[in-house]
Amino acid sequence: MSDEKSALLVVNELATTFATAGGPLPAVGGVSFELGYNETIGVVGESGSGKTVLARTIMGLQPRTNVTVTGSVLLEGHEMVGVSEEEKRALWGTEVAMIFQDPMTSLNPVQRVGKQIDELLRVRLHMPKAAAKARAIELLEMVGIPSPAERYHAYPGQLSGGMRQRVVIAIALAGSPKLLLADEPTTGLDVTIQAQILNLLDRLKEELAMSVVLITHDLGVVATRTSRIIVMYAGRVVEIGSTREVFGAHRMPYTRALLESSPKVTNDPHTRLVTIPGRPPNLLKLSEGCSFAPRCSYATDQCHKERPTLQPADEPGHAFACWHPLPKTRKRTVTT
Amino acid sequence: MLIAIVFVISVGSFYLIHLLPGNITTVIEGPGASPENQAKLFKLLGLNKPIYEQYFIWIGNVLRGNLGVSFISQTSVASTIGSALPIDLEIILLSQIIAFAFAIPLAMRSARKPDGWLDRILSATSFTLLSVPSFIIIVLLVLFVSVKLAIPHTGPSSYVSFGQDWIINLDSMALPAITLAAGSFVLYFRVLRSDLIATLQEEFITMARSKGISQRRILWRHALRPSSVALLGTAGVNIGGLLAGGFIVEYLLDIPGLGYTLIQAIDTSDYLLVQGIVLVVSVGVVLINFFFDFIINIIDPRISRE
Amino acid sequence: MSNFGQFYAEEEIIHVEKPEKREPLGILFWVCVGWIGLNIIGAIFANVLPLINPLTQNYNALNAGPSLHHLFGTDDLGRDIFSRVVYGSRISLSVGAGAMLIGFGVGAPLGMLAAYRRGRFDSILTNVMYVLLAFPAIIATIAILSFWTPRSLLKIIVVIGVASIPLVYRVIRTATLSVATKDYVIAAKVQGATDRRILFRELMPNVAPIAISFLLIGVATVIALEGALAFLGLSVLPPTPSWGNMINESRTILQQNPWLAVFPSLAMILFLLSLNFIGDRLRHHFDVTEVKL
Repeated sequence: MSDEKSALLVVNELATTFATAGGPLPAVGGVSFELGYNETIGVVGESGSGKTVLARTIMGLQPRTNVTVTGSVLLEGHEMVGVSEEEKRALWGTEVAMIFQDPMTSLNPVQRVGKQIDELLRVRLHMPKAAAKARAIELLEMVGIPSPAERYHAYPGQLSGGMRQRVVIAIALAGSPKLLLADEPTTGLDVTIQAQILNLLDRLKEELAMSVVLITHDLGVVATRTSRIIVMYAGRVVEIGSTREVFGAHRMPYTRALLESSPKVTNDPHTRLVTIPGRPPNLLKLSEGCSFAPRCSYATDQCHKERPTLQPADEPGHAFACWHPLPKTRKRTVTT
Repeated sequence: MLIAIVFVISVGSFYLIHLLPGNITTVIEGPGASPENQAKLFKLLGLNKPIYEQYFIWIGNVLRGNLGVSFISQTSVASTIGSALPIDLEIILLSQIIAFAFAIPLAMRSARKPDGWLDRILSATSFTLLSVPSFIIIVLLVLFVSVKLAIPHTGPSSYVSFGQDWIINLDSMALPAITLAAGSFVLYFRVLRSDLIATLQEEFITMARSKGISQRRILWRHALRPSSVALLGTAGVNIGGLLAGGFIVEYLLDIPGLGYTLIQAIDTSDYLLVQGIVLVVSVGVVLINFFFDFIINIIDPRISRE
Repeated sequence: MSNFGQFYAEEEIIHVEKPEKREPLGILFWVCVGWIGLNIIGAIFANVLPLINPLTQNYNALNAGPSLHHLFGTDDLGRDIFSRVVYGSRISLSVGAGAMLIGFGVGAPLGMLAAYRRGRFDSILTNVMYVLLAFPAIIATIAILSFWTPRSLLKIIVVIGVASIPLVYRVIRTATLSVATKDYVIAAKVQGATDRRILFRELMPNVAPIAISFLLIGVATVIALEGALAFLGLSVLPPTPSWGNMINESRTILQQNPWLAVFPSLAMILFLLSLNFIGDRLRHHFDVTEVKL
């Protein structure tokens, strides 16, 4: 679990609200957690749960206009919320980096990939040209790109999806950041490539002693690669705990539903895919009660009327937000 | 393709001039010319030959660099155009330098803070300028400059080339260059601004930001290049248009460029000169378009691959 | 669901689909429409309005400044500028409308047909049009008009109109092409809709906004062109007033009478501005691809 003293990232009641034509949109509402050094935490949720906005807000990359951010994000003691862009920029790339979902759009299509890696090295680390190029090629090799010296001169369009994402990772790691925010890094890739990229990330974070926030909707991805998991729904944290706990002893029905809806290899063939009935709520019109209540089979009156706050479960560090939690200590094997 | 276009244009301009009413011989000889003299002249000029034959004679000469000798001024068409063309080129060059020098930085500023106060002012101003025809700009400019500030305004004979005295030259070039620059600026500013705003929303810009790169560098190094495609396309068309249409400005300010010369030529029925100018201008426009297409390809290799 | 819109489920980056509420046209839009309307009424009903005769020369008031009697002052021949401006609008408006009528009347159907049919018809016609486009139309217009005497308004309208056909053709064709390749058109085709039906039900409504926008801008351009031609003496001849030749006349007397330059210029600028603004707003209003957050 996290040790207060050595927390790399402390997020406290972080909330992001967009000002839209239809009213204020609370994309992220009151998220708190801590991340220590060399730790990997997974953030899971359906599309629209606020996980990407959370990642961007933590980084400080949210759009400048029509957005209000409240709360606090402490990165190694540096506050990221409400500070000037310049202050944030000082940390970007060298302390914290982010990789995005679609490698094709994350790379500048008219600039060679080598240059894109170089940029950080030369502009931020003030490396001379030759040294930067050498380092860039090193980085390309580190992320597993064959013939890195040649690929250095390639345009993004000339590389395959998997290779592009490796380049994106190389760029992100160029400044040796301590924290990496990975927003659905494999969602846009072929299934076979996905495992490669995830394994690459595992290896790199070990080698470079990095902490990772791994965001995904795919539970299989987080099952074996994270020590803790946050489950998000409608912009709020509904369950947080160690991976083992969340998979094996979760209390929030949504978590259960999420787990059940992912197809399992061990199921019999032709098993019906379980889906969660209903749709994610409209964030503009959030109800007073639990946001999941309309779709929850356990919902009670209280669930509809009052929004549940996070309550601690048995194991320290495990908390959930539910009035009608599932009974404790059920043994369920973790399957992916 | 290029050749085909130029060919058709040459044919078109030739026929156009020849289909127009007005007998060239009356102009040369004077209105009171006798019919026999007219007939003699006709034959001398080769005008009695069928039109297509006349065309071939002309085009044959052109390809050998001989645009003919004007009947009216007795000087070779080529040399007339040769002395007038550089003036146009200079005006266009100056105006484009001014236009780009203002348009690019201002568009960047606007794109950084869309709907900020600077952006609003610039957008409104450029939109308004768009609606003001160039001749009105000139008249109003002259009104203020010449009349209110009492700066004298000189005629074509006082035109001095750059080589001779660049101060006086720039002085007389200033007004036309500024007028053309205004129109071009408006166009370039709007196009670049909207392209930049669109590009800035792309994810690779966010990625670049996440590297800690300064906003300035992002704008100039990352956003500008992809956004220039539309700008260059517009510039190509615009400059081509300036070559063909900057005539009014020249004419009004008595600057002996192609426009001025052309209008005079039309006035005096100097059809050979008119033909020559039309040909040169058309070729010029086509060349400019090709040039800009070429540059666009260099900037954005994606276009050629598509 | 609120009338706000739906989020793209896959990307939480707020990509808002076009809200059902379109971008409003705004007050300024209607002001411009009103101004255009006013000008049109002025042009049509000029001779029944209580205006001083535009041709009457009042030697008692040469180059007079604006006054209650002469709202815009008088020119160097003592003619009332205000009424001349109003009468002058007739020229500008008729050239603008007439030329665009010809240009669109011929160019638009051809463009749409070519884009829809494609094939030989399209390639031949488009190549011809593109070559015509390469020809410097302004020069041709100047040349034709200067040689084709005697001058008349009709000739001006015809020449400019015909000269604009290739450009209209190209714009409409491009617009139709981008619409015709959209899925819903292919869907209609597959469902066996006749060409005629597709043309009217699917293509035209979607090309219309672009077309109208371009039409307005075209009118503005033509009016400016007429003004330029007036400077070359190629528009209607004095004493008939037109905005263009009034501004031209003002050049020689700028020192004594700035009003002759200012008022017709203002009239033209405001009119063109309104046209451009309306065209622009319409484009924003109907443009589905532009989204504002």
